[in-house]
Amino acid sequence: MTTATLGSPSRASSVEARRRPRDWRKVLDWVAVHSLGLALGLMFALPILFVFLTAVMSDSQAFTKDLWPREWHWGNFLEVFDKAPLLKYLGNSLLYSLSATVGMLLSSIPAAYALAKMKWRGRNTVFLLVVGAMMLPPQVVAVPLYDTWSSLGLTGTLWPLIAPYFLFDAFSIFLLRQFILTIPQSYVDAARVDGCTEFQALVRIVVPMARPGIAATALFCFLYTWNDYFGPLLYTSEKPDQWTLSLALSSFKGMHHVQWNLAMAVTLLIMVPAVVLFVFAQRSFVKGITFTGVKG
Amino acid sequence: MTAVREAVARAEPKPPARTGQVKAAARWVRRAPLLPALIFTIVVTQLPFVATLVISLMRWNSLDPTNRGFAGVDNYTAVFTDPDLRSAIGTTVLLTVTVVFVSLVLGLVLALLLDRKFAGRGLVRTMLIAPFLVVPVAAALLWKHALYNPEYGLLNGVLTWLFGADAPQPEWISGMPLIAVEASLVWQWTPFMMLILLAGLQSRPQDAVEAARIDGATAWQVFRYLTLPHLRQYLELGALLGSIYIVQNFDAVFTITSGGLGTANLPYTIYQTFYQAHDYGQASAAGVVVVVGSIVIATFALRVVSSLLREEVRG
Repeated sequence: MTTATLGSPSRASSVEARRRPRDWRKVLDWVAVHSLGLALGLMFALPILFVFLTAVMSDSQAFTKDLWPREWHWGNFLEVFDKAPLLKYLGNSLLYSLSATVGMLLSSIPAAYALAKMKWRGRNTVFLLVVGAMMLPPQVVAVPLYDTWSSLGLTGTLWPLIAPYFLFDAFSIFLLRQFILTIPQSYVDAARVDGCTEFQALVRIVVPMARPGIAATALFCFLYTWNDYFGPLLYTSEKPDQWTLSLALSSFKGMHHVQWNLAMAVTLLIMVPAVVLFVFAQRSFVKGITFTGVKG
Repeated sequence: MTAVREAVARAEPKPPARTGQVKAAARWVRRAPLLPALIFTIVVTQLPFVATLVISLMRWNSLDPTNRGFAGVDNYTAVFTDPDLRSAIGTTVLLTVTVVFVSLVLGLVLALLLDRKFAGRGLVRTMLIAPFLVVPVAAALLWKHALYNPEYGLLNGVLTWLFGADAPQPEWISGMPLIAVEASLVWQWTPFMMLILLAGLQSRPQDAVEAARIDGATAWQVFRYLTLPHLRQYLELGALLGSIYIVQNFDAVFTITSGGLGTANLPYTIYQTFYQAHDYGQASAAGVVVVVGSIVIATFALRVVSSLLREEVRG
């Protein structure tokens, strides 16, 4: 009797003792993961939050150390449109990014197809040249290109930036080739047996199957040109009516340095298109980049 | 680099089948519509670089157009002996290696965190991706004026908020110029690395991890012997894309420090040689050095990373 009464609580407590550190570890783990997540998330998002808070401050408060706006001036986001022809710059940015993306698709899809699905002598050499060109910083070829465009009288416009995409874009060709390689050769062969020309095989078989890869490449191309600063700076810095948003932003700061809050508002507005695009295409972006790069 | 190498290996053509002349001709007729794209590719990718190579061997300053001619390797000698350009080479290497390495490590930590399920994961993920969506020149401006500014910047604002009126108010940009540039780039590139590594983590075969756990492997052992080797190709991809873009970085250096205080990297120096000194020959020579340099760095960095990881697998 005594042994039984003594035995059962001690057994129970030993079970509890065995379980308790587990529970504690789980709680600690929960706290650690959440606080780490929150801290790191804040660390990365804080600068942008600060930009937002500054953007809605009054002119004078923006120059203080205050972190929180005393009054919320939402009108700042509209006021910037009076200060600078932002819509004009937006138009230029869209012209550059959209035409470059369309041009890239027209030129790079056939080239990628030829590198992935057609057999011809010298294919490897050409592919290596493409990889080499991918690593070529734009500053390196700036001299001969600038010289050529200026003899054509086209410096001061965005054409020197757009036109090359209709001829080739090494990074896009590389990404698209990697993606097209994952399409089974048998589909293409079957199309050939059925009497398709290479062009028909490309348009009817490969393009529909490579749609996610094409979407990811197009997104990359759009973001790259949207973000481009060096190109517009080199060719259009002396022609303000040709400026893109990224170029306009840095001069906006110079011209309106008194109105710090407005500069921050512009910074936020420029982010919007990229955010919208990314929200819609996030999945295909991540899938495309890892798929093409890793599975090649 | 392995990704590229494997891709090249796969492109290796199978031994050509013996085909008759007629058949070959017919094949070319079918191929014809695709040829223009190819020819353009070959010509357009290589022509400007060849032109750059030629100009790099010439004496050509647009301010002095009559004095134009063959200069041999003079421009290259200038690139390597000019103290400004030499330090620009060093700065470029340091900047690229630091930013790629730090953002890969941070990106790995963040990816491991986001790979777990916890309340508010979606929100944290969105906050972490945000910096990637800021236009680079806007990001550079943001860091320069909104964060580093000693009068009204966030960093000193937070210091004041934490420690009161007599808090230290450092001059971030003039005090630590290169670190200031690197921090802004790490901030922008970490989300990109995180996205790639997270995709890698989520494609990890779960059964192997499960089996290892049952066999009594600790979390660290699972990470070291299963997760890290699996992530190798994703780390390599991130490093490759990161180095390609950061070697070329112009916006951050141009905006934050205007190349002053020892932060001028080669792209900035080339821009200056070209746009301000109008020395086309020397700018081209420096450009050729950048290309060779970026290929060497990318190859070398990837070798080191993958050999380290391979040892991990064996150990």
